[in-house]
Amino acid sequence: MEIVYVYTKKRSEFGRQCNFTDRSAELHINIMPEESESENFIAKNPIDIGVQVSKEYSEHEVNTIRFETENRSINHVEGGWPKDVNPLEPEQTIRYRKKVEKDELYMNTVVQLGNVMEHVIKQNNAIDIYETYFDDMTNEEVEDLPTAKTINVFRDPNPVQRTANHISWYIDGPKKIAASYCNLEFKKARSDACVDSYIWDVENPNKPELTLKPISPLVCIEFNPKDTHVLVGGCYNGQVCIFDTRKGSQPVEISLIEKSHRDPAYKTMWVQSKTGSEFFSSSTDGQVLWWDYRKLQDPIETLILDREKKGDIKNAYGAMSLEYESTMPTKFMVGTEQGYIINCNRRGKSDAEKIAHIYPGHYGPVYALQRNPFFPKNFLTVGDWTARIWSEEIKEDCIMWTKFHMSYLSDAQWSPVRPGVFFTTKMDGTLDVWDFLFKQNDPTLNIQVCDEPLYCLRAQDHGRLIATGSQSGTITLLELSDNLCTMQRNEKNLVSTMFERETRREKILEGRIRELKLKEKEKAGGIHDGADKEKKDENAEEASLKEVDPIEKAEKDFFKIVEEEKAKRKKKMDQNESNTENQTEKNEEKQN
Amino acid sequence: MEDNAEDTTFVVDEVSTIIKDAIEGSIGGNAYQQNKVNSWTSSVVETCLNQLTKLGKPFKYIVTCVIMQKNGAGLHTASSCFWDNTTDGSCTVRWENKTMYCIVSVFGLSI
Repeated sequence: MEIVYVYTKKRSEFGRQCNFTDRSAELHINIMPEESESENFIAKNPIDIGVQVSKEYSEHEVNTIRFETENRSINHVEGGWPKDVNPLEPEQTIRYRKKVEKDELYMNTVVQLGNVMEHVIKQNNAIDIYETYFDDMTNEEVEDLPTAKTINVFRDPNPVQRTANHISWYIDGPKKIAASYCNLEFKKARSDACVDSYIWDVENPNKPELTLKPISPLVCIEFNPKDTHVLVGGCYNGQVCIFDTRKGSQPVEISLIEKSHRDPAYKTMWVQSKTGSEFFSSSTDGQVLWWDYRKLQDPIETLILDREKKGDIKNAYGAMSLEYESTMPTKFMVGTEQGYIINCNRRGKSDAEKIAHIYPGHYGPVYALQRNPFFPKNFLTVGDWTARIWSEEIKEDCIMWTKFHMSYLSDAQWSPVRPGVFFTTKMDGTLDVWDFLFKQNDPTLNIQVCDEPLYCLRAQDHGRLIATGSQSGTITLLELSDNLCTMQRNEKNLVSTMFERETRREKILEGRIRELKLKEKEKAGGIHDGADKEKKDENAEEASLKEVDPIEKAEKDFFKIVEEEKAKRKKKMDQNESNTENQTEKNEEKQN
Repeated sequence: MEDNAEDTTFVVDEVSTIIKDAIEGSIGGNAYQQNKVNSWTSSVVETCLNQLTKLGKPFKYIVTCVIMQKNGAGLHTASSCFWDNTTDGSCTVRWENKTMYCIVSVFGLSI
């Protein structure tokens, strides 16, 4: 059966009917070539076009979040027992062992392995794998340029920024550094700031090895050279405290607050003693205190750095830095806040005897003070904008000094291995390495460690590694190139002659000044005697000239020259002009 | 009936003023700059289309734009169409300043 459905729709509903016709081609635009236009152009011949065949690469940098690692370990002594054997019961384990030992497979394996092991042991004994080759060869003179590279950066894990103001190296090898953190800006210390200081493992900048938790922030910290577990720290509130790394973060001993310093204990140092338990500390309150950490109730000894040597704490100089050399156990030196350097001897009976000599020093606090490890008679100081080298013999002035830098110097240290090298840190974030055998007027190497001020510096005993601490508490570990930490041929002799030469020069200058002073005195005396008789004596005139203030004398000389010059000009000038000049001259004379 | 025819046919004059305005608005007195040509052409074409659609006529439009630097070279264009001659139409405008030619063609096809 067929179903048909008829669908109908009107033509008009389909839309408009198409009625297309062709439109003949039509020219739209006809611009004829015009030669004159091309005259506006300048032909470029030849044309340089670069063609690059190689692939194009783009470089992108992404800094991923620091991945913090942590070391954990388990000591696995015994194990692998079957389930039904209890390893804690000896009877069961012995029985099982015997069973295994009777097993034929076990016996075969042991015999086979025995052969292999014997071979390996023989091989080990035949070849010394730790042998150093070319042992007898001497080190070639290193001629490379001195360099330094950053090995590690230790950031203060605390959100509140504090200055890393003192660093101490672990005594047995470059493994650890202890650093004290404290905000030293006056009245800027926040009450919520953390008081912790840290001991860092040199290899692991992610996490401090030990956190030291004193009662008040530490301003200095020092490893005990005789017992590496013990550290002494000076607190911001003046107390000194002892830490023992075996006993955890809390201080094991703290000095009594009423017997301690009244200002921050800026420096502490261990003293050469039989027990290795004595140390001394200094502070800006003008006291130097000796302690024994076995009984911290009282200081063993006290010295007040009174400038009049009367033991009056009101007149005392504030101590900023200390120097102690274990080869001269009774002597020590103090760098003061006022810029003086005090040479002391502990053997003196009174305070006055203990203060041997006061050297004039810097225009500001002496931030660093150290004797040369090879020539202890010579010492290095840092303050204001210079580093100075002194000789103990010259009491009035230093023997060598650096130029004035653009920024303050904050710390300095001699290289422990090279007598002619020292390091300084500056407030512009740079570390300078000075090798004064090589160059005296400029540092041999200038390293921009960071953008913020550097506050402290400590070289490791091998002289290769240097740790510096910055204002925001970042400690940067630098490694120096070989030529900065190996002693050069003849260096000791050269340095010694240089020190001697400079000392002699300074001595001659000192003698000359003294001579001049004496002469002046004599002459001044002579005038008084014969003044009545020979008033017009020429000598007297000269002497009187010398007597007057040198600045005044210079001024007089200056105006004398000006006057002479004017007199010369006067001759050449017209009468009118010379009149006016006369007036100005008179004016100047009046001013004189 | 007259008005109706006006509404549904392609009025060349009307379109040519639209094109001229679009060119003046986009290029204006600028001198030829190779790196600007892209934006000029697209802006001319877009403003033309915008204005044409605003006329509200039942048309599909095709707009092309050619910009050529005046350096003495000749240019000739032509087109041919198969369409409804009674309603559909095209308009080509040639515009020039000191440094370039701009040629815009519009084809209007009634629906």
